[in-house]
Amino acid sequence: MASAAGSERSAAPAALDVEYAAGDDAEDHRFRFTAMASPCEVRLAGLPRALATAHAEIAIAEVRRIEHKYSRYRPDSIVSRINTAAGSGEAVEIDTETSQLLDFAAQLHALSDGRFDITSGVLRRAWDFRSARIPTPYALAEAVAQIGWPRVQRMPETVVLPDAGMEIDFGGFGKEYAADRAAALLERDGAASGIVNLGGDLRVLGPRPDGSAWSIGIQHPRAPERAIASIRLARGALATSGDYERFFEVDGKRYCHILNPATGWPVQGWQSISVVAPLCVAAGAMSTIALLHEDAAPAFLASQQVAWLGVDQNGEVVRHGLSA
Amino acid sequence: MAATDHDDIQPTDARPRLGSITLAALALPGLLNVAHAESAPTDGVISVKLQSYDDRQPGLDRIRVIAPSLYVLAPVASNWALEASLVHDDISGASPRWHSAISGASHMSDHRTAGTARATRYFDRVSVGVGGAFSEERDYRSRAASLDVRWSTPDNNTTLYVGAGLTRDDINPVNGVVENEHKRSNEFMIGVTQAWTKNDLVQLNVGRVAASGYFNDPYKLVDKRPRERDQTTALARWNHHIEPLGVTIRSSYRFYRDTFGIRAHTAAVEGVHPLGERFTLTPSLRYYTQGKADFYYDPVYDPVIGEPYPPGRPRLSSSDHRLSAFGAITVGAKLEWRIDSRWSADFKYERYEQRSNWRLGGNGSPGLARLSADILQIGFSRRF
Repeated sequence: MASAAGSERSAAPAALDVEYAAGDDAEDHRFRFTAMASPCEVRLAGLPRALATAHAEIAIAEVRRIEHKYSRYRPDSIVSRINTAAGSGEAVEIDTETSQLLDFAAQLHALSDGRFDITSGVLRRAWDFRSARIPTPYALAEAVAQIGWPRVQRMPETVVLPDAGMEIDFGGFGKEYAADRAAALLERDGAASGIVNLGGDLRVLGPRPDGSAWSIGIQHPRAPERAIASIRLARGALATSGDYERFFEVDGKRYCHILNPATGWPVQGWQSISVVAPLCVAAGAMSTIALLHEDAAPAFLASQQVAWLGVDQNGEVVRHGLSA
Repeated sequence: MAATDHDDIQPTDARPRLGSITLAALALPGLLNVAHAESAPTDGVISVKLQSYDDRQPGLDRIRVIAPSLYVLAPVASNWALEASLVHDDISGASPRWHSAISGASHMSDHRTAGTARATRYFDRVSVGVGGAFSEERDYRSRAASLDVRWSTPDNNTTLYVGAGLTRDDINPVNGVVENEHKRSNEFMIGVTQAWTKNDLVQLNVGRVAASGYFNDPYKLVDKRPRERDQTTALARWNHHIEPLGVTIRSSYRFYRDTFGIRAHTAAVEGVHPLGERFTLTPSLRYYTQGKADFYYDPVYDPVIGEPYPPGRPRLSSSDHRLSAFGAITVGAKLEWRIDSRWSADFKYERYEQRSNWRLGGNGSPGLARLSADILQIGFSRRF
């Protein structure tokens, strides 16, 4: 009978590309993997290995699901389907999850006075960080002309990009959303102590088994192997944006990948900003929007009532709502 | 405000503060208390396997089967999964030697194509599967359908399983002993899986098959079996994870009885050993013992006819060695190799040996030749 064979197969756990870190404690398990082009880790404490492994596999599968669904590098992703249909007049049908993420993107656009715009990825055509060339004014103007969230035609179940060449990109919060979803699944399964860390954007599930907070290092923006500070977190999320992820320098001036959608030019003013918030997706959006505010970042972050840590242009650490 | 290494700074207020971006984020689906559809697969799998089965009796190479197979699992939408498999066997070899003294053996060759397809719909804590299967040989055609339902408790510690199936077989032996015979079986299975402790998983299954129709082996000279066969199976499994060693021990016991009069017990154990980060070695040991069917007769060598004949003229009789009393041991090992994030390979070798005097609690059927077999399998699978 077919069902008997089926049950045998489903008993075997799906093989996930997860590295089990060597030397972890009996009850502190670290599962390292790569997703969204970043080194990632699910760390679970206070659980036996078998259970931690089972939980971690579910969480990692969720991260991969989101990566597959929203990657602009995969031609079958919903993002690629929307972008491919740009200018054709075709209304691309979207599911509830995608619709809610687009609603979130719309709110971020409004709450950032247009600074956070998921259609700004087209600036990639003008800025080539590998060749380290400042784009010509013409190339920049042409890319900026393609940007504009307000032009995107949104219905609850469809989306239309009106002009050929327009693109949307969930890169601004997709990774953070995945961290929150993975954390929510772990919480559902009863994991009370641990961290989901996707390339430095992380969500803490709960304190260490002894009740103490986790100590999380903030990367030094100019010395990648060093931490410039550490933040103790027992729960909530932490995300960092900085000018050091992709950049080049010309004549001593740094051009980073965080680009103002209105001008097409890189932001100035902060080496990095880390935000503590209840959700990673909120922390990630706020850290990026804060960098886009340049000098007005402290005022913006104050309006959002969040704790944050910034490294200013001179490499000095500024903190707000975080005690020394 | 000087930058120093490892400032130990803490949030002054542990309570979450809610600004408008945080509130907007809270509206996103499933970030808090996710209601997640019960483990619908998110990755597809395609795997190709090649299995070779090669058995022999003393002085006689018997059957060799080479079977390539293909398996595909495809997630569809967010809560459907489709699975399909296809296998093709080429079988060649000599017909079994019932009795050690017989020297001749007629040769056989056949091939079989079989496939299954299955769709599963995942709901919250419940999944429902519908499947179909077919198998084609020159002289034997089989069609099957199945339906099963799984239900998990809210804490996911207990899963209940109920399944039912129907099989219809058409038998048209090439020697024309019978024409257009049928066999029909109805199957029912119920099971429960319980996470007993964090390291122990136990499972109990009971299955019942009620079958009627043509059970004879049309290629045996005298083979008359009942037209009804009811089978009952009880299976208990226990998986135990030994944390300090990182090893998982899987053990099982199965009891089988049927209305042919066969009683059988199977005990099996295997140990899953991770070797480094990319390899897993799983050695296994299985012992099987069965008592003979009521109508099985021990073959008597007739020096004139040369084939075993039943004594007298019984209403029902068979000398099929599979209905005799015997014991069997299988020893094997499987090596799995995770090549990268997408590809994995596995290699399995098993050695099977069947002897009548290995039967538990008494001698097996006399005069049966020892049977041994080598099973080799190599497979590749890729996730997509």
